[in-house]
Amino acid sequence: MLYIIGLGLGNEKDITLRGLEAVKNCSKVYIESYTSLLSFGLSSDGLSTLEKLYGKPVTLADRETVEEKADAILEEAQKSDVAFLVVGDPFGATTHTDLVVRAKKLGVDVKVVHNASVMNAVGVCGLQLYRYGETVSIPFFTETWRPSSFYEKIQRNRALGLHTLCLLDIRVKEPTLESLCRGRKKYEPPRYMTIGTAIEQLLEVEQMRGESAYNEETLCAGFARLGSEDQMVVAGSMKQLLTIDFGAPLHCLVIVGDTHPVEEEMLGFYTLGGGN
Amino acid sequence: MVKFTADELRRIMDYKHNIRNMSVIAHVDHGKSTLTDSLVAAAGIIAQEVAGDVRMTDTRADEAERGITIKSTGISLYYEMTDESLKAFKGERNGNEYLINLIDSPGHVDFSSEVTAALRITDGALVVVDCVEGVCVQTETVLRQALGERIRPVLTVNKMDRCFLELQVDGEEAYQTFQRVIENANVIMATYEDPLLGDVMVYPEKGTVAFSAGLHGWAFTLTNFAKMYASKFGVDESKMMERLWGENYFDPATKKWTTKNSGSATCKRGFVQFCYEPIKQIINTCMNDQKDKLWPMLQKLGVTMKSDEKELMGKALMKRVMQTWLPASSALLEMMIFHLPSPSTAQRYRVENLYEGPLDDQYANAIRNCDPEGPLMLYVSKMIPASDKGRFFAFGRVFAGKVSTGLKVRIMGPNYVPGEKKDLYVKSVQRTVIWMGKKQETVEDVPCGNTVALVGLDQYITKNATLTNEKEVDAHPIRAMKFSVSPVVRVAVQCKVASDLPKLVEGLKRLAKSDPMVVCSIEESGEHIIAGAGELHLEICLKDLVDDFMGGAEIIKSDPVVSFRETVLEKSSRTVMSKSPNKHNRLYMEARPLEEGLAEAIDDGRIGPRDDPKVRSKILSEEFGWDKDLAKKIWCFGPETTGPNMVVDMCKGVQYLNEIKDSVVAGFQWASKEGALSEENMRGICFEVCDVVLHADAIHRGGGQVIPTARRVIYASQLTAKPRLLEPVYLVEIQAPEQALGGIYSVLNQKRGHVFEEMQRPGTPLYNIKAYLPVIESFGFSSTLRAATSGQAFPQCVFDHWDMMMSDPLEAGSQAAILVSDIRKRKGLKEQMTPLSEYEDKL
Repeated sequence: MLYIIGLGLGNEKDITLRGLEAVKNCSKVYIESYTSLLSFGLSSDGLSTLEKLYGKPVTLADRETVEEKADAILEEAQKSDVAFLVVGDPFGATTHTDLVVRAKKLGVDVKVVHNASVMNAVGVCGLQLYRYGETVSIPFFTETWRPSSFYEKIQRNRALGLHTLCLLDIRVKEPTLESLCRGRKKYEPPRYMTIGTAIEQLLEVEQMRGESAYNEETLCAGFARLGSEDQMVVAGSMKQLLTIDFGAPLHCLVIVGDTHPVEEEMLGFYTLGGGN
Repeated sequence: MVKFTADELRRIMDYKHNIRNMSVIAHVDHGKSTLTDSLVAAAGIIAQEVAGDVRMTDTRADEAERGITIKSTGISLYYEMTDESLKAFKGERNGNEYLINLIDSPGHVDFSSEVTAALRITDGALVVVDCVEGVCVQTETVLRQALGERIRPVLTVNKMDRCFLELQVDGEEAYQTFQRVIENANVIMATYEDPLLGDVMVYPEKGTVAFSAGLHGWAFTLTNFAKMYASKFGVDESKMMERLWGENYFDPATKKWTTKNSGSATCKRGFVQFCYEPIKQIINTCMNDQKDKLWPMLQKLGVTMKSDEKELMGKALMKRVMQTWLPASSALLEMMIFHLPSPSTAQRYRVENLYEGPLDDQYANAIRNCDPEGPLMLYVSKMIPASDKGRFFAFGRVFAGKVSTGLKVRIMGPNYVPGEKKDLYVKSVQRTVIWMGKKQETVEDVPCGNTVALVGLDQYITKNATLTNEKEVDAHPIRAMKFSVSPVVRVAVQCKVASDLPKLVEGLKRLAKSDPMVVCSIEESGEHIIAGAGELHLEICLKDLVDDFMGGAEIIKSDPVVSFRETVLEKSSRTVMSKSPNKHNRLYMEARPLEEGLAEAIDDGRIGPRDDPKVRSKILSEEFGWDKDLAKKIWCFGPETTGPNMVVDMCKGVQYLNEIKDSVVAGFQWASKEGALSEENMRGICFEVCDVVLHADAIHRGGGQVIPTARRVIYASQLTAKPRLLEPVYLVEIQAPEQALGGIYSVLNQKRGHVFEEMQRPGTPLYNIKAYLPVIESFGFSSTLRAATSGQAFPQCVFDHWDMMMSDPLEAGSQAAILVSDIRKRKGLKEQMTPLSEYEDKL
């Protein structure tokens, strides 16, 4: 049996009771460490607090393990119970559907334990989840790779008056460009995109395209460390948010669309310089 | 330095109409360097008497020892024309003083890259051909290269002394030989019809062919004799010149010119009657010491000898007399000044070949007009080791503007892309230097049209670069040079003492800088590899490395090995697919061989990444049968963005394809550099992207996902398209007497070579043999050949083409499979090839 268990966003204690029971019953526990990170995942002993809670060792599964060596995990799951821990919700922002597909093909039973994800936790700012359009990712721009397809999506969302959730790039244990090309492994130091960088890139694309999907004055809400004790939510124009230090990762950003009065009221609590 | 000082030289550098930048090119041992010395003698660097015995241009000890030139050297010469001789000159000029920037380059094919570097910075070429041996393989190679660069040639038929002293042929026979030599050269030139350059063929009767004896320091053009006889016959000079060549006969008995030999015993060809025989007579008189006859003859010719010279005997006397009568320097220099273009003339048509940017921007215009007030455009064609160890001069040509000491310049390296910061530096020139043989003189500045050496930029320039003024940020670079030879032979080197490793690493860096073509690299196994054009080239490189760049630290070298290429024989047997690591992106691809001749067209730069799309599409559709629209869908060339492989987009209506294009290109650049068989370069493969499935979100289709997938799908398509190895093949030219032929054939047979042409050189007992020889078999070929022919046969090997090895590298135990596993072992890779299943994903 393969348990795919959401860990939620805050700290180790956010795991659900059902999840915790499943973990305790499993012979092997993996935690996926590249598509997000628990706020405690940054420090080296972060894992040990998990291990203390579960009372068993936890294996760190980086991108390579999940993408290229998943077969090993699935093989174990054929014989015994294996837990695969995912920060947030298993089917939230990231792409673990592939793991499920492969497991089903191998005849492995899969059980999913849900939890909070960034995709619903952004509700905290008061913008209704019903009013969100397509979610986009903002990747780190490089010298040669500056994809801007998110622009059209934001444009479409805004045309319909919808809010846009922008997930910001995380690069943990990413191979360097050269090693990618030559098929060898060498890694770049980890990087997390800040709200500042994201806004700069957004504005760069706007300037390039010039189709005024948004501008410096567009209202946004910035989130840092969503779901944890010290979470930070600030609403303001892009220009204003650029000046704010959101602190440690992870960050994400919502570009606000048309608002309902109640939404406005709620957003007001986070707006820079008071609000209503 | 008798005749001129640096100041005098600098002054004349401003007269752009009076400058001639020229290279001397020829087959090895046709007497180029010796001839150059007579020119240097006239410009006053060495005394007239020793010209012919000391080779001024060969500045290295090993060059003197081997008697061949290895590195090209530049010298500035100064020559004053008389009003008399300039009378017929039609072009623009500025007084009678002329500055000739001359570059002597090596004749051995292994050093062709030096010639390429020399051609780039010159406008004209003096082609030297041995009158007996005729046009040889290197003459042809270099001549083609020169014409490709739009360099105007003049010809000199050299080693005339052999006709008179060694072979003692009669006048008519000699004429026929010369005529053939000139014809052969013209056959090559005629293939380069270029409306801008005009007729490049050479004609003795027009004064573009000289006849010289470099060793004895004399030469003439028909102009010399026409001047002598014109008044006697009462015709003008040009008319007289025509009579002195071709089918024009004179019978002194009847005093009549005819266009056919009248058959009378006294009727002889004009050239024989008036040029060849008088020279023969003088030479014979000198050699027989018939001084009583000699003095009156000389007096008639207006030649006066100094009294101490009159004491000379035999050969020394002959040399002296001939040098006084027909000094090589005046004949050759006048021919070059008359018939080779000045920079201001040449740059007008060369700008198209030189400048990469739009031909109507200010930089193109400055080059076209050779404008000293325009923005600086300077091309560094090679790096020359300076006397203080480890430093280099950047040697090149100013095409526009001026370069001066202290000037801040933008250095655009070969990988610079306009608008980006890659391979770009801004640095100050420490000193500008002009080059005079062994001596360098510092000058304040150097204006366009001249060659120059720069101090202080060596850390920022690897082999060549374009320099412009600091503020000229929108300038495009000058086109990179194309070499006619490839570095196909390689050796691995290591130090004898392990602690010398830093010296080796540093030494290799310097070696790479000093030679325009050598490639130094590090293998996966940690071995240091040096790749060159042939055995001799490598030998010289290794010697330089040890003696000059490593301070004599000892090295161990491996046996030489040959580079291979990987190609495919057919189209992939099926469309292959690879998934990205997250399985959400899929690339579908097929490989197929490029059309015949297309890889060569890319090598020659006729088709490349920077073409005008319309021109590319025209060539591809007309010559290679491509669909016109398809030609617009070439994503890139590779390896190194210019190599003879490409990726073509065959997809229909895929969204966001543009976003992954760069990732596919990046994966292709490396994959084409390190093929699936043995990590050798690929060659002649076209990869067709058939379909693409992408994740909806940009992050999940980034480089990390797509680059490795591109690489895998490229390998998979290569492996399903019948991969083959290509081996390099030399064209070998051998000259030998008849009795040596047996030995030559047996050595060639034994070495897998095959002869495709055997010809007797008319008028000589020599045979000329042309054969193809796999480079891998060429090691020790020269010495085996010498042994088998008692030293009578001399081969010249020049890289010719890549030959497909028909055996299947995927079939265990085949010849190609063994080769592949040897290469892999050497490179420190797994001996077994990675199987197709690792690269291809199935649905």
